[in-house]
Amino acid sequence: MVGKKKTIIVPKKKMICQVCGEREATFHSKEMINGQVKELHLCEICAKEKGLSETFFMPSFSLSNLMAGLTELEVPLSQETSVSCPHCGLSYEDIKRTGKIGCGSCYQALKEYLTPLLERIQGKVRHFGKVPRRGKVKDQRERRIYELRKELEKLVRKEEYERAAELRDEIRRLEKEK
Amino acid sequence: MILQEMANSASQWSRGDGPEGEIVFSCRVRLARNLEGFTFPPRAHDSVLRDVSDKVLNAVKKSDYLKNSRLINMSELSGTERRFLLERHLISLEFSAGGSHRFLVTEKGEMISLMINEEDHLRLQSILSGLQLMDAWRLSDKLDDELEQNLDYAFLPQWGYLTSCPTNTGTGMRASCMLHLPALVATHRIDELLKNISKLGLVARGLHGEGTKSQGDFFQISNQVTLGLGEEEIVDSVEIVTRQVVGQEKRAREMLLKRNGTQLKDQMGRAYGTLVNAYLMSSEEAISLLSKLRLGVSLHLSPHLSIQALNELFFMITPAQLQVKEGKEMAPLDRDGLRAKIIRERLGELK
Repeated sequence: MVGKKKTIIVPKKKMICQVCGEREATFHSKEMINGQVKELHLCEICAKEKGLSETFFMPSFSLSNLMAGLTELEVPLSQETSVSCPHCGLSYEDIKRTGKIGCGSCYQALKEYLTPLLERIQGKVRHFGKVPRRGKVKDQRERRIYELRKELEKLVRKEEYERAAELRDEIRRLEKEK
Repeated sequence: MILQEMANSASQWSRGDGPEGEIVFSCRVRLARNLEGFTFPPRAHDSVLRDVSDKVLNAVKKSDYLKNSRLINMSELSGTERRFLLERHLISLEFSAGGSHRFLVTEKGEMISLMINEEDHLRLQSILSGLQLMDAWRLSDKLDDELEQNLDYAFLPQWGYLTSCPTNTGTGMRASCMLHLPALVATHRIDELLKNISKLGLVARGLHGEGTKSQGDFFQISNQVTLGLGEEEIVDSVEIVTRQVVGQEKRAREMLLKRNGTQLKDQMGRAYGTLVNAYLMSSEEAISLLSKLRLGVSLHLSPHLSIQALNELFFMITPAQLQVKEGKEMAPLDRDGLRAKIIRERLGELK
């Protein structure tokens, strides 16, 4: 016997967009970064405006967005807060506001501020990785050290310790020359 | 149209044929580089961005790795088309906002690609299937070597490669693995695990859906620090931790199968039933059901389905992918209808 059929579409609990506070939220993101949960519920229109959408496993909060908060904790070391980069004009204030560095020259012009900032973010402030081949003359030694280090790692993996020891000594000698 | 051609085939790395492919969806190494003497993109004027893109595109022309690549001008794309590239993991969220003098160069299999004038002048990446992070690094390294022959990078011996954001300074490298961890989620061990990973100086992220359950049970592990360590050292540390997580997920899967085998089969059967019978399917629901099915397939509970077929489905049903393939903008309800249809048909073919 066929009774009266009833189609039940169970609506999920409706949520209102966190940005406009009017439309129904259709974009939901809940992301956990190192144990902290961030929730976002937006309507289609606001999500689009923010460049977000229901993307498949795409983290929506980038590290750099958290940076602005991190730089806020940093206090400039000297009174010279008016110093700005001669190439792009970036100031301490700009970094504090945006968390971004303006150009390669900033790294030297604002060194006093950037060193503690990098230390805070990275822990160490001495590069240990790849060195471009086309660098300036003074960087050539760095490139050589980088290549030797890579070679050394390969030898250690192959357990060729004698040759590895020779390389290690050469790296030490080059590092002393710096 | 280039994008429609892309929409008709899956990226090579989504095939799931790499090592540990049942758990490690993909691995990726991206490098950030800037040109010496040019302001970084967020502060640069249009004329600087133009000069930079000219220089980089010139270097791309001379590259062997990018010989058969597609060149996409971001300013010529609609919002949906940009989101399509985002969903395929070819561009970042920031880049998807568009703008002039911004380009994407991608090799046909989409394993290596290059964003020009993102937050940094160059962002190059390699994505491989499964856990092959060291190979992904070597690929990125070689592409970088090749491009470098014609470009002068901003570099200081003390600080390495100079980048727009201080979280990238040094190696400019982010190495990450995308993992599918349904059994660790089901056995409630995931939160502690993620917390422990963060203690090791790595970043663990989970993309969560509604409620307490995470959406699709996908997680990403990546390095946090980019300065003071060598690239291979960083890759090793991400890979070692990923291997440990893979081992734990495997054990959790076996345990689930042994203790809750019937429940597991039931959940998988129900997921399958909904997927092959539904006429409306939101992307959230689809991802969550496909995730359940994927776990079952990896435990050989459903011999007619393959991990590869499921991986491809995950990417076929994202909102922009649907719209680019159809060649038109679609309302959410129409997308849900088309999504359900694609899943029904695809799973039907695989019966």
